Amino acid sequence: MVDLGYGDAGKGTVVDLLCADGPVGAVIRFNGGAQAAHNVVTSDGRHHTFAQFGSGTLHGVPTHLSRFVVVDPLALAAEAEQLNAIGVPDPFGLLTIDAEALLSTPWHAAANRLRELGRGAGRHGSCGMGVGETMAYALRHADAPRAGDTLDPTRLRHRLTAVRDRLTDELGDLGGPPVDEVVSVFRAFGSIVSIVDGWSTRRALLDAGRCVFEGAQGVLLDEWFGWHPYTTWSTTTFANAETLLAEAGHGALRLGVVRTYTTRHGAGPLVTEDPALTAALPDRHNGTGRWQGPFRVGHFDAVAHRYAVEVAGGVDALAVTHLDAPDRAPELRICPEYALAPGAPTLDRLVPGGRGDLAYQERLTALLAGARPARLDRPARWASAIGALLDAPVLIESYGPSTADKRVLGRALAA
Amino acid sequence: MGSGRWSTDVYGAAASYRAATGRSAFAYSDSGARKVHERLDPRGVDVRESRDSDEHPRSTPIAVLFDVTGSMGSVPRTLQSKLPELFGLLLRKGYATDPQIMFGAIGDATCDRVPLQIGQFESDNRMDDDLGNIVLEGGGGGQRTESYELAMYFMARHTSLDSVERRGRRGYLFLIGDELPYPQVKPAEVRRWTGDELAEPISVAAIVAELRQRFEVYYILPSGASYAGDPEILGYWRRLLGQHVIELDDLDAVCETIALTVGLGEEAIDLAEGLTDLADVGSTATGSVGRALATIGSTRGVAVRTDLATAGLDTDGPDDGLIRL
Repeated sequence: MVDLGYGDAGKGTVVDLLCADGPVGAVIRFNGGAQAAHNVVTSDGRHHTFAQFGSGTLHGVPTHLSRFVVVDPLALAAEAEQLNAIGVPDPFGLLTIDAEALLSTPWHAAANRLRELGRGAGRHGSCGMGVGETMAYALRHADAPRAGDTLDPTRLRHRLTAVRDRLTDELGDLGGPPVDEVVSVFRAFGSIVSIVDGWSTRRALLDAGRCVFEGAQGVLLDEWFGWHPYTTWSTTTFANAETLLAEAGHGALRLGVVRTYTTRHGAGPLVTEDPALTAALPDRHNGTGRWQGPFRVGHFDAVAHRYAVEVAGGVDALAVTHLDAPDRAPELRICPEYALAPGAPTLDRLVPGGRGDLAYQERLTALLAGARPARLDRPARWASAIGALLDAPVLIESYGPSTADKRVLGRALAA
Repeated sequence: MGSGRWSTDVYGAAASYRAATGRSAFAYSDSGARKVHERLDPRGVDVRESRDSDEHPRSTPIAVLFDVTGSMGSVPRTLQSKLPELFGLLLRKGYATDPQIMFGAIGDATCDRVPLQIGQFESDNRMDDDLGNIVLEGGGGGQRTESYELAMYFMARHTSLDSVERRGRRGYLFLIGDELPYPQVKPAEVRRWTGDELAEPISVAAIVAELRQRFEVYYILPSGASYAGDPEILGYWRRLLGQHVIELDDLDAVCETIALTVGLGEEAIDLAEGLTDLADVGSTATGSVGRALATIGSTRGVAVRTDLATAGLDTDGPDDGLIRL
């Protein structure tokens, strides 16, 4: 399951529904890290913002964090404590982490914030948690700390010290806690969570039955296909999930999640943005973030979403969320094509570039900065209109925050 | 695109992990359970089986039984966190075809409430569940003996292995501990803990001989245990098992040690290749594993494994489970 927009489409609520709808062996995360924020509201009113735990946790479904996830042991402890408080007796007992997964540290987070501050008005819309910084560090340094290192105190101390020293050399004093404190808490993390051989764990999970691969962020923020540089340092398409599935010899139904209006939290192009909609559709879980900036709302951007489907390699089905919004916002519309300049032909398809061609992505960003909706339509039936525009059947409709507000339309998901 | 909702304060996280300690690892034991978990109860068990199947046509049974009495200190907890990696390591390196792993625990039948816990042979992560359900007795009698003989009796009489019965290839049994067995398998203890009726006691040497029809038997004495390096204990086990006694100076290397021992036994590798493999997967344990396996590795080149046709042969040389050409 991936989000076809800029994140916040309702992945949490869809995973929660899938886990309520039949036996699920595990929720497997395949990108992002602690900056994910997937909201689930239960029918009895409990609410949790899932970041590193999978969004099926309230149904007792275990989470496996694959090697593509950046793990933040500090945020994980806080999230587990909150889960415990809302009735999950042993959250850590529901978690397995691939020993190869990268660990983010307080120095990665500090470096992330320093760099983002240095960008001034050109900020990327980072969450300030150091996930991208952790990925970048690992590309430069083969000895980047990984989950398995927490089981080896000598190696852990060596690798954490290297992170602090190298980032301090590069950026100046980062602050942050003493290395000893971080070693000690990372050791505690390693002794409590199950750090596993990811390959055999995933094979066993997938052999045993149905699993849900929960994507984080959104395809339009993809590191290679998003609007560079306003992207996340993460592959947000199905690509990582497909790698993990292929390693275990399994396949999956490809589910894309969209909401009836297009939102963006942070900087970067949002062609259909409309301040009137931002006022009319306040988001209960997203406000102005210290590092991300304001939450922005626009009409449903069919052009950008069609592009997302294309770069994701197609979807088998859609989940459409926030179907209650059109009634609350009569001015809400769908944008099927862009206008670039007065008199110029309209544009209904953004042509994807090659993976890794960031210069091309930057040109797309510039093009979008000058684009406006050429036309805005108000469909009679939102779910089927969106399905038709994205050329995929709608399997899940969501009309509100809780499990009871969802409808599963097909049985294909049970397969 | 997300948020930083959950606190990344290092001190708050430390407090959370402290509070959670013991809630998850060994959850069954830590919840106060002092009874054997039903999945691990040897009473009334006919056989624990390792079977070939279409999916796993050439099963390799590997049993790992460790001492959970007090003399082992924190060793059982470390083993519990380490052993889940074993399966992946064996598969990834192809040291054994279709490994099926069983975990179990050994205590003291004269004074413990849970002296014998034996899981199933599993080829998926149900073996992790067995590990998590092991009760850590933590007691023991304090007289340098534990009921290894009772565990060996169970493994000799209550296992059925396709690898042996169909293909004449023995499985592997690793005993991890720091003490001696009692000299005899006692009928009263066997009745109490397994339900079998024995007419008379069986000597340790006799049960080991019987056990070796099915398993290559290894004893691992880890550092960190009370009697680590104790010459009397090492000497006793060496008389019983010959070179199949492994001193391990880094408990974190237990999975690698077992995996390489199996790889050597299966003749999939020699010791140098095995250590290179470990380095390739980023293991820092190559030194410890190399020291622990030096003896086994150096004799492997001239050894052949026993098969059913030769199992009854009288051989010269040390009684170490190897038949020399």
